[in-house]
Amino acid sequence: MPAGPTIDTPRSAAAPDPDASGLTTELDSSGAPRLLVGGVGYRLLRDLSFGPLLIERLARESWPDGVELEDLSYGPVGVMHNLDARPPYDRIVLVAAVKRGRPAGDVLRYAWRRQLPDADEIQARVAEAVTGVISLDNLLIIATYFDKLPRDVVVIEVEALDEDWGEEFSPEVERAVPRVIEEIRRSISGLLPS
Amino acid sequence: MCFRNLPIEFDAQGGATLRGGGADPFGYETKAIDRDEIKKLLAKNGYVKAVDYDPVTRVAGALGFHSVVDLENRKVLEASSIATLFRGYEVILKGRDPRDAIFISSRACGVCGGVHSTCSALAIEMAFKICPPPLAVIIRNLALSMEFIWDNSMHLFMLAGPDYSEAMIKKTEPTLWDKATRTETRWGSIHGYSKMSDLFHDMNPLVGKLYLEGLELSRMAREGYVTLMSKYPHPETIVPGGISHTVTIQSFNVYLNRLMKTFDFAKRGIAIWNDIADFFYDANEKYKECGTRPVNMADLGIWDDPNAYDATYENCDAWGERRWATPGVILDGKLVTSKLQQINLGIEEFIEHSYYENWTGQPHKTDPLGAPLSPHHPWNKETKPKPAGTNWREKYSWATAPRWDRVAVEAGTYARPWITVLAGKLPHRRFLDLTPDSMKILIPKYLDPAVEVEWKIPPVFNAFERNRARAYSIAYQCVVAYDNWLMGMDLLKTGDYRTSTPFEVPKDHRMGVGFWGAGRGWLSHHLELDKGAIVNYQIITPSTLNACPKDPWGNPGPYEEAVLATPILEEFASPEKFKGIDILRAIRSFDPCMPCTTHIYAGDQHITCEVNTCACGADD
Repeated sequence: MPAGPTIDTPRSAAAPDPDASGLTTELDSSGAPRLLVGGVGYRLLRDLSFGPLLIERLARESWPDGVELEDLSYGPVGVMHNLDARPPYDRIVLVAAVKRGRPAGDVLRYAWRRQLPDADEIQARVAEAVTGVISLDNLLIIATYFDKLPRDVVVIEVEALDEDWGEEFSPEVERAVPRVIEEIRRSISGLLPS
Repeated sequence: MCFRNLPIEFDAQGGATLRGGGADPFGYETKAIDRDEIKKLLAKNGYVKAVDYDPVTRVAGALGFHSVVDLENRKVLEASSIATLFRGYEVILKGRDPRDAIFISSRACGVCGGVHSTCSALAIEMAFKICPPPLAVIIRNLALSMEFIWDNSMHLFMLAGPDYSEAMIKKTEPTLWDKATRTETRWGSIHGYSKMSDLFHDMNPLVGKLYLEGLELSRMAREGYVTLMSKYPHPETIVPGGISHTVTIQSFNVYLNRLMKTFDFAKRGIAIWNDIADFFYDANEKYKECGTRPVNMADLGIWDDPNAYDATYENCDAWGERRWATPGVILDGKLVTSKLQQINLGIEEFIEHSYYENWTGQPHKTDPLGAPLSPHHPWNKETKPKPAGTNWREKYSWATAPRWDRVAVEAGTYARPWITVLAGKLPHRRFLDLTPDSMKILIPKYLDPAVEVEWKIPPVFNAFERNRARAYSIAYQCVVAYDNWLMGMDLLKTGDYRTSTPFEVPKDHRMGVGFWGAGRGWLSHHLELDKGAIVNYQIITPSTLNACPKDPWGNPGPYEEAVLATPILEEFASPEKFKGIDILRAIRSFDPCMPCTTHIYAGDQHITCEVNTCACGADD
C-alpha cells in the first residue's frame, strides 16, 4: 500500500494544534464527554504493532470517566460501522506507528484536517480495507469520506523503525512510549471537566 | 479411472496402484516458452503493445499481470500472471507446535482468515485422530457461511462491481451506455430497477446504492460471524476438536437476526447479475468470450455434515460426499471424481516458472491409505524460496503452479454448485434440490417473500457466468446456514451443548490434511508432524490455483488462459487511450485474492516485500 502522500500528515512543526480546535463539547447524561483512544496496526510486527500494543499498556492505567480505550485494528470498514452504531464521540485520538521517513521514534501529534484524496484513491482505499488491509491512513480516509468521525480527531503517529516479526518495539520506539502517553493525556485533558 | 496423465490407476474396489513403474514414474520433460514471435511483433507493430497491470487494482493483495495485446486485431497474444509477494507460511510453521498453525496460518489472509483457521483445525484433527462434537461442526458451518456471504457480496459489489458501473461503462464502452439508457431490465420486479442504466448507476463506486448496500452487508455478515466466533478476522476460538467456547440459544438468535437480512440481499443480487450478464450478451455475443476457458475446475467441498464428519483420512470419501457442497473435479465439463482421496492424490505443485528451488526426495511414496503419491504432491513438497529477476520465459511469480492430473483447474465459489449438480449426491435437501443440470435454492422469506431460484449450468463459461454463479452462491450459502441453524437449534433443545473434544498433542509421526474452501474456492492445508512439532506444512489457496504461472509444459494458468481467450471489445480512439477493461473483467471474475506476509525468515536471509517489483521492467 502506498504511504499516504495525499492525506494530511504534517511533517513539520507547522502541524495543526489539536488543542486549538475550539470545538464546544457536548456532555453525555453522566456529565462526561465521550472520548475514544484507539490504536491501529497489525500485531506481531514490532514497531508497526505500536497502536494495538499501546492500548494494552494504557488499559493498565487509570483513566477518567468518559475515556474509552479500544484496539481499532479490526479493519477500517468494521471500525466505521461500529462508530456509526455508537453515540457520537466528542473526540477520537488515534495512535499508530507509521513509516513516513522521519527519524525513528519521532512522535507527531496533529489534528486531522479531513482532507481527502480524489475519488479513485478513496475507492482504492475501500478496496484495500475490505480485502483486509489495516492502516491508519485507510481508517482516516474511509471514515472521513463516509462521515463517521467526529469533527475533532487527533492523530498521534510514531515513526517506526523495526517491522520484523515480534512483539517488542525497537529501542527508539520503546523510548517514545512515555511521550506518546503524555500526548494522549494532553489530547484528552482539554475536554475533561477539571 | 479419474486420471488421464498421472500414473495412478484404481481397481474395482477403489484401491490405487502405480501404473507402469520405472525409475521415475512421475517424471516429466519440460517445454520451453517461445517468445521470439511476440518480440518481433512488439518491435515492428505499433498496435501490438505490452500492457502491464501492476498492481491489478480492486483485488486483495499483490497481483501483477503482464499482457501483450494486438489492438488492431483485438486479441491478447501473451498473458503472464504474477504473484508479486511471497507468503512463506510454510517456512514459518516448520518446527512449531501444531496448535500454533491455526492462529498463524489464519494470517495468510485478512479477508478469509476464518477459513484458514478452520482448514488448519481440520488438518490437525486428522493428525491427532480427534473429532469435534456435532454442535461444533454446525457452528463452524454457520460462521463460515457468513464469511462466504460477506466475501462473495464484497466481490460482486465492491471489487468486480465497479467494472459494470455507469462510471466505467461510460469510459470504456460509451455505445453500450447509450444502449443501457434504452434497455428495460428483465428482473426489475425483484431488484427494482426498470432501466439498465439505473442499475449501472447504482453500481458506481463509493456513491452507488448497491455499492453502499454491499458495504452494509459486510457489517451484518461480520456481526453474524463474531456472534458465534467472538472475533474476526483471525478468530481465536477455533481449536482442534471444535471451538473453545460455548454458545447459547440467545447467540443463535442474534446470528439468525443477521442471517435473515441476507436473504433479501441474495434474491436481489441474483436478479442484478442475471440482468448484467444478459445485457452484455444481448449487446454483443462476443462478450461470451470474455474470460472464457475450458470448464476445468476443482473444489474440496465445504460444510461438513455434523453426523458424518469423523476427521479421518480413511473415511474422507464418505464424509466428503455428505457435505452440503460436494467435493469434486471437473475436466472439460465432465465430473471425473467426487472422492476426496482421489482429489488429494491428483494435486501436484510445480515451480518451473516460480521463484522457488526444486526440492529433492520423496519422503512419502504413498498416502496414509497406501495409494501412490507424486513427489510433487504437497505432502512431499518443500518450500525453498529463491528470489530472482522476472523473466517471462523462466521465472515470474511467487505462486507455484498447482495442477490436478497435470491440468490447470480453477477454483471458485461457482465450482461448488457446478460440482454438486454434476455429482448428484447432495444429501441435504431441505432448502436445496438438484436436477441433472441445475440447483434449486429455496430462499426463505424475510421482508420479501420466499422464492425458489434455479442456477443452471451455463452453456458458456466466462467472466459473466463466474459472477452470475457467485450471486447464486450467496443464496446457496444463506440456505446452508439456515439449514445448519435449524440443526443447531435442535441440538441445543436436547441439551447437547458440547463444542469441543479433549486431546493431547501426539508425539509420534502423524499426517493430516484439511480439505476445505474459502469464499473463492479450494483451500487445502497439508500437515506432517513428528515429536509433537510440525515437520512440513503446505497450503494451497484458491488464488494459487487461479493466479498460477505456466506449468512445466508451458500451459497457462487459469487467469492467463482466460485472458488469452478474451476479445478486446473496449472502445478506444487510439492505442494510448486503451484501458484494458475486458482483460480486467476477465481477471477480476475469478475474485483474485493474493494476500501474503511481507516478512519471512529463510535461514539467515531476510526477504521483504521489495524482493519483487513492477513487472514492467521484466527481462525478455
